[in-house]
Amino acid sequence: MSDHDKVYSTKLQDKIERNTLLMFVAVALAVAVGGIVEIVPLFYLPNTAMLGGDGTMNGTAHKDANGNVVASVVWKPQAGQTLEDWKPGDGVRPYKPLELAGRTVFIREGCYLCHSQMIRPFRDEKDRYGHYSIAEESMYDHPFQWGSKRTGPDLARVGGKYSDEWHRRHLKYPREVVPESVMPNYFFLEKKMVDPDQTIKTMEVMASMPFNPVPRDIYSASYIASAKAQVEGKTEMDAVIAFLQSLGNHVKFQEGVNYRD
Amino acid sequence: MSDNQNSDGGVPTTGHIWDDNLADLTNQPPRWWMLGLTGSAVWVVVYWLMYPSVPFSTSGTFFEGIGLPGTGKWTAIKEMQEDQKVVDAVRMPFENKIKDMTPAAILADKELSEYVVRSGKVLFGDNCAACHGQNGVGTVDKQGLFAPILNDDDWLFGGTIDKIHETIVGGRQAIMTPHKDSLKPEQIDAVAKYVKALSEGKGDSEPDGKKVFMESDCTACHGPDAKGIQAMGSANLTDKIWRFDGSLEGIKRTIAYGVNAGPDSRIAVMPNFKEAGKLSDSEIKKLAVYVYKFGGGIKDDVPAAAPAAAAPSAN
Amino acid sequence: MEATQATPVKYDMDVVRWFTIMAVVYAVVGTLIGVYVASELAWPFLNFDIPEITFGRLRPLHTNAVIFAFGGCTLMATGYYMVQRTGGTRLWSNGLAWFTFWGWNLIIVLAVITLPLGMTQSKEYAELEWPIDILIAIVWVAFGLNHIMTNTIRKTSHIYVSNWFTMAMIVMIAYLHIVNSLAIPVSLTQSVSVFSGVQDAMVQWWWGHNAVGFYLTAGFLGIMYYFVPKQSGRPVFSYRLSVLHFWTLSFGYVWLGAHHLQYTALPDWTGSLGAAISLAMIIPSWGGAMNGMMTLSGAWDKLRTDYILRFLVTSLAFYAMSTFDGPVMAIKTVNALSHYTDWTVGHVHAGALGWMAMVSFGALYHMVKKLWNTEMYSDSLVNVHFWVALIGSVIYIVAMWVSGIMQGLMWRDYDEYGTLTYTFVETVSAMHPYYAMRAVGGAIFNLGTWIMLYNVVMTVRQANAARRVSAVPANA
Ligand code: HEC
Ligand code: HEC
Ligand code: HEC
Ligand code: HEM
Ligand code: HEM
Ligand SMILES: [Ca+2]
Ligand SMILES: [Ca+2]
Ligand SMILES: [Cu+2]
Repeated sequence: MSDHDKVYSTKLQDKIERNTLLMFVAVALAVAVGGIVEIVPLFYLPNTAMLGGDGTMNGTAHKDANGNVVASVVWKPQAGQTLEDWKPGDGVRPYKPLELAGRTVFIREGCYLCHSQMIRPFRDEKDRYGHYSIAEESMYDHPFQWGSKRTGPDLARVGGKYSDEWHRRHLKYPREVVPESVMPNYFFLEKKMVDPDQTIKTMEVMASMPFNPVPRDIYSASYIASAKAQVEGKTEMDAVIAFLQSLGNHVKFQEGVNYRD
Repeated sequence: MSDNQNSDGGVPTTGHIWDDNLADLTNQPPRWWMLGLTGSAVWVVVYWLMYPSVPFSTSGTFFEGIGLPGTGKWTAIKEMQEDQKVVDAVRMPFENKIKDMTPAAILADKELSEYVVRSGKVLFGDNCAACHGQNGVGTVDKQGLFAPILNDDDWLFGGTIDKIHETIVGGRQAIMTPHKDSLKPEQIDAVAKYVKALSEGKGDSEPDGKKVFMESDCTACHGPDAKGIQAMGSANLTDKIWRFDGSLEGIKRTIAYGVNAGPDSRIAVMPNFKEAGKLSDSEIKKLAVYVYKFGGGIKDDVPAAAPAAAAPSAN
Repeated sequence: MEATQATPVKYDMDVVRWFTIMAVVYAVVGTLIGVYVASELAWPFLNFDIPEITFGRLRPLHTNAVIFAFGGCTLMATGYYMVQRTGGTRLWSNGLAWFTFWGWNLIIVLAVITLPLGMTQSKEYAELEWPIDILIAIVWVAFGLNHIMTNTIRKTSHIYVSNWFTMAMIVMIAYLHIVNSLAIPVSLTQSVSVFSGVQDAMVQWWWGHNAVGFYLTAGFLGIMYYFVPKQSGRPVFSYRLSVLHFWTLSFGYVWLGAHHLQYTALPDWTGSLGAAISLAMIIPSWGGAMNGMMTLSGAWDKLRTDYILRFLVTSLAFYAMSTFDGPVMAIKTVNALSHYTDWTVGHVHAGALGWMAMVSFGALYHMVKKLWNTEMYSDSLVNVHFWVALIGSVIYIVAMWVSGIMQGLMWRDYDEYGTLTYTFVETVSAMHPYYAMRAVGGAIFNLGTWIMLYNVVMTVRQANAARRVSAVPANA
């Protein structure tokens, strides 16, 4: 027979087991550590695409093979410029109204459950999809759309790869263009119109985020006001296609530059 | 079971009892498990020393790790570069040659064209097959043929190696004007019947349509013989190969609404692979050769080994 | 059998009965949706051009139904059951428990409505939109409060090990859910995460992994620590092992989230932190599996006749297997291959079908007998369910392991010219036979849940009929 008060572990453990509050506190502390260590530094270290309080990306500097810092990969409008003046290669930019509306549809339909948007730095992914994805490229993605399963191909650089018409016909009936495909038919996207008010509200929300908001010189009041005209009369199909065509051509990557640190 | 004894080993329990008969024995954890636990702790520390870890710092960086024995500090990018070297060792001898060669010259080189045929498969399969079908057989959906068939010898823009190359570099977007306003419905009817008859070798059986064809602007693009003009990508109307849809209704639609010319017209856009930055110069050259080798490529009299500067791509 | 208690306690078991019944119902529903989404990948015409049932909208319903409806009801049923019995006390608040019952089921109904309509935040296992998120937070805290307060009024000196695990789950899930769900509403049915890109990814997978680690693992280890000793009539093998593996698991698991993001645009250090501890987690995990298995030492012969025990033991074997598979997948070089492929899905379901569902089935059968104070309507149907579940799981898992590894190898295969060998669509068609096989395995597994539902319903009816005859109130 054992002694009821004998401690078989440690005194502290025994105390914890006798006291609910103590156990609650001990557990609450123990399970907090890992998350804090892994998450908090992502808000202040460089190379995490977080816009710091000083207006820089927390001091991120991408260097070429000779150690020279390359120009910022994030687009900043010159005075008088709007999103419409942006050209591929000018740098990472937020979504235009129609693209943003398309992104909402992309999320709603659960495309991310079959398609990743994150090219890893592997030779085969480079050969198949293009340059590896970098942190800045998803800095305006609230929430991120990297996915965790590639039932279909990665879409991170699908922009410009096909024509709008191809996307339209593929999205409507994927197996008619790609017989092996297992993707659902999305012809119903052509029947629904984009809601301009919803798009405008989403833009407002994007510009008022606590972390990585869209800068007000890009989503200016007048630009947001122009959104209505841009999306009015467009179908959800137009919107998704605009979104797809916007993926992956923001940054002009230079050979030999390490964009990860 | 209110006794605290384990009937097998005689190990006592801790003496606590819950819910009538729940108790726990005072057995030690298995030895291998304790060793494993210690080993795991050691493993974690060693791993964190070797690889980039510990993100806390004042300098704005993190601990980069002391590196793996023999290979130095680890980063994902370095790992990729190492892997890249392995495939580069195999393909660089070919790629280095291709870099400065014209597509025609590559085509003329037996060894290189074998290389291209092999490496072109995935390049074509992942980038072009979505429109042109696996192996260039074309893709037909409800609205007809989506993009030209590439494994035949009928070419809109020309089937010489340089023309094919030009197509991939610059993309194509041929235009046919709509005729719903310039022609009356019965004229469209007639000319459509004529075009259909042409493809069956019976053009003369439709004199009314022929008249429309000759007197409207059709010949400007398709030529008086209706065989098409490759400079503008207009289709050959005298063969049995239909770019879009060879039914009478389909032909009427093409004539009425045109191609790449506004609402309801047929859409035929070949993306510009150079501008989009999707493919490198070498990849485009390889694809040109690959497409040529589907079997429909047309020989031309441009000297096979012309210098790179002469190639239409080199600009 | 069980010794009677010196001073019989009246427990609040009605709410437990209802959670138990709903758990069985949701096991049927959740896996049925699983079979359907699996079939959609094998035979895409099954999307039937109905937006609400396309794969992209149905898959989140599957994960939510199995994790939160089936898993959640099991956890709450067992949570309330164990905390009362091990503490020798009634619930702190029976009313609050009923609130959690109705609240939780309301959440599930809302999920069934909103997910097919495409209302989603797109964060895996946290898809539900913000008003439902708020409801989840309230109900979860109510459950936690009730559980913890019931612990404080227990009659025993020490808190039983099951309740440690449940408590860890309650606290961690509360943290995770609240932080990961932070979003700004655009409308009642749409909201936008406050985090973006890299930070959002890390927050999501901190949640995602620990939804697995604390909800599907710690919570169910709590179940294991009660029902394995109970069903086998043996004391827990080693108290020290319980202590050590509880703390190492609770502290360590939290770090693993980063293994979902290796080689992505996150800095290299995050992946390393996750990978190192992931591998180290084999030992704490196997500590739990071992403690459960060794509890049976001397009682193995019972497996011949005790079909409920079969479920419990088999679940431990699968637990050991999936906590080996997982750490292996966390190794950088392995993850480079396995990530994005069906291997992950195979791993998930080794844990989900083999461990989480099997241990639930065992616990639920055990509870049904106790709660209705009766024997099962048919013991041999329990046995049939066991075999059907086992065969279904094995077919599913094997299919996905094979197809996942094949997929990963095909994507990265280079020929002798140093160029890629397979186009993407070739890999899609290569998956087809395995998708079909998975759907078949899933259907078999689902069949088992129907058998269980039938057996449980008949058992309850039989018990109720017997009670009416004897007119003696059932003793909880
Ligand atoms: C059931 C899984 C599934 C879902 C859901 C899905 N897709 Fe796909 N997708 C595929 C597969 C498989 C392919 C490859 C075959 C093909 O091209 O159709 C593909 C291909 C694509 C491609 C061509 C990519 C390329 O580079 O060739 C695009 C673009 C695309 N999908 C967009 C979408 C969008 C947008 C949605 C949501 C509205 C979506 N997909 C939903 C499975 C899916
Ligand atoms: C978005 C669909 C699409 C993709 C992707 C595409 N093509 Fe095309 N391609 C077309 C269309 C449409 C035409 C016809 C253009 C026209 O009629 O103006 C065409 C024309 C061509 C032609 C000329 C055929 C002729 O008869 O003269 C060649 C050669 C060609 N494509 C090769 C390729 C190659 C190689 C690739 C891959 C790098 C590719 N295409 C990718 C749609 C596509
Ligand atoms: C501005 C130039 C232009 C004019 C004028 C023009 N065409 Fe065309 N036509 C084209 C081009 C270019 C194509 C091929 C488009 C493609 O394949 O991308 C074409 C294609 C066609 C086709 C489809 C062939 C097929 O294989 O499916 C028909 C039929 C046709 N034209 C008939 C006519 C007739 C009849 C007229 C006069 C009423 C006419 N075209 C006037 C440029 C023209
Ligand atoms: C009949 C049994 C089941 C079948 C047929 C089934 C089928 C599926 C399918 C087809 C997917 C999608 C995989 C993909 O996207 O490629 C999936 C995902 C998932 N299922 Fe199941 N499932 C079953 C039971 C369960 C159970 C009991 C759980 C319990 C937790 C579960 C948890 C999950 C999870 C967490 C995912 C997401 C996996 C990921 O994101 O990688 N499933 N299931
Ligand atoms: C020590 C234990 C475990 C470790 C180290 C581990 C590790 C991993 C890894 C490396 C992945 C793949 C991540 C990726 O490449 O995206 C993964 C995915 C997953 N694991 Fe585990 N695993 C463990 C135990 C379990 C258990 C017991 C379950 C029970 C159900 C489980 C459920 C899942 C789920 C649901 C996913 C899919 C996440 C997604 O949607 O991508 N894991 N795990
Ligand atoms: Ca042709
Ligand atoms: Ca949510
Ligand atoms: Cu994980």
